[in-house]
Amino acid sequence: MAPKYKVTYFDIMALAEPIRYLLSYGGIEFEDVRVKGDDWPKLKNGTPFGKMPVLEVDGKKAHQSIAIARYLGKQVGLAGADDWQNLKIDATVDTVVDLRIAVVNAVFADEATKAQKKETLEKDTLPFYLGRLDNQIKENGGYLVDKKLTWADLHLAATVDSVNGALKTNIAANYSNVGSLTEKVWNLPKIKEWRAKRPSASM
Amino acid sequence: MAVKPKLTYFNCRGSGEPIRYLLAYGNTEYEDVRFEDEEFPKLKPNFPYGQVPVLEINGKMIPQTLAICRYLAKRNGLYGSDDFEAMQIDAVADAIVDLRNAFTFCYWITPEDQRPAHEEKLKKQTLPFYLSRFEKSLQENNGYFVNGKLSYADIFFAGQVQHFSDNTKYDITDGYPQLKALVEKVENIPQIKAWIEKRPKTDF
Repeated sequence: MAPKYKVTYFDIMALAEPIRYLLSYGGIEFEDVRVKGDDWPKLKNGTPFGKMPVLEVDGKKAHQSIAIARYLGKQVGLAGADDWQNLKIDATVDTVVDLRIAVVNAVFADEATKAQKKETLEKDTLPFYLGRLDNQIKENGGYLVDKKLTWADLHLAATVDSVNGALKTNIAANYSNVGSLTEKVWNLPKIKEWRAKRPSASM
Repeated sequence: MAVKPKLTYFNCRGSGEPIRYLLAYGNTEYEDVRFEDEEFPKLKPNFPYGQVPVLEINGKMIPQTLAICRYLAKRNGLYGSDDFEAMQIDAVADAIVDLRNAFTFCYWITPEDQRPAHEEKLKKQTLPFYLSRFEKSLQENNGYFVNGKLSYADIFFAGQVQHFSDNTKYDITDGYPQLKALVEKVENIPQIKAWIEKRPKTDF
């Protein structure tokens, strides 16, 4: 019998969205639990590390969104073919995470530094990352790694989805290769279906 | 003939040391390239994402500490026996990096005049949050992070911990006997012990 999957996170895209994308892509039914901010403190102790997202597979709990994404990437056939390819996928995903962290640090900065951080984000950080990612996609036939769809591509598309919400913009607007890849992922039938039926979230 | 892998990083332990520990563990000969802070701006454009550490194998450069660690872990039997175990090991390593990011933010990004408040939060909340949970994992797993056996997460922690203590200016494993024992255990692995003895001495 197929394992039962449950994803527990806040009612936003953010860290859980790559996980939800991967499960959807694989046609894997999952319980999509969304926790309200006020309810979170009392649930903490039931989690492996006091944080979310948490993936539960037949009652076994795992934490850390990227570790989970890597695991699901393997389950749904989107992992690399060998160690070196997986290394390239990991390196790319970690880089996109660096970008996401920079966005979060700017969006949630305290009032004193927010304006300056947002300016640095827009003028330096985003162009730095998006420019290189755009180039990488161009050099890889429209995908992030080795000219084929991997979980890195789904992770990027889910991150763009969330960051666009957080910044209220389309960060891929001036990066045509990033934009095309994101659209390509969003148009995969199972991802399209997920994005149409999921609860709406601000970021 | 294959060229030796090349690791490029600042002349310090920092994020590079876990990789150096793993290379030592695997008895892998490599070129340990180091540069000083001042040289970084002009070297930056050479790296795939303008960051280090970078591992170069047969002319191909790969960035990102954890990606490199995981690759070396697979080659040295330090990545668990199945996908679920691998995920659990990855989760620990990711949590260590979350803690490291908090350190980077406090000590290397926040301007000095704003640091005290962040340092207070790091020492009073963030560090205890992570260290108590790491300690519990070790207690429940026979002295290792996952399923009672050595994995790259254990070596990663041991390679990273001195850098944390260098910033706080006290041994962060004080009060966490399992963590202390783990670090000692890893540092006494012969290949790693040999590396520690011969490595360049740096402040961080």
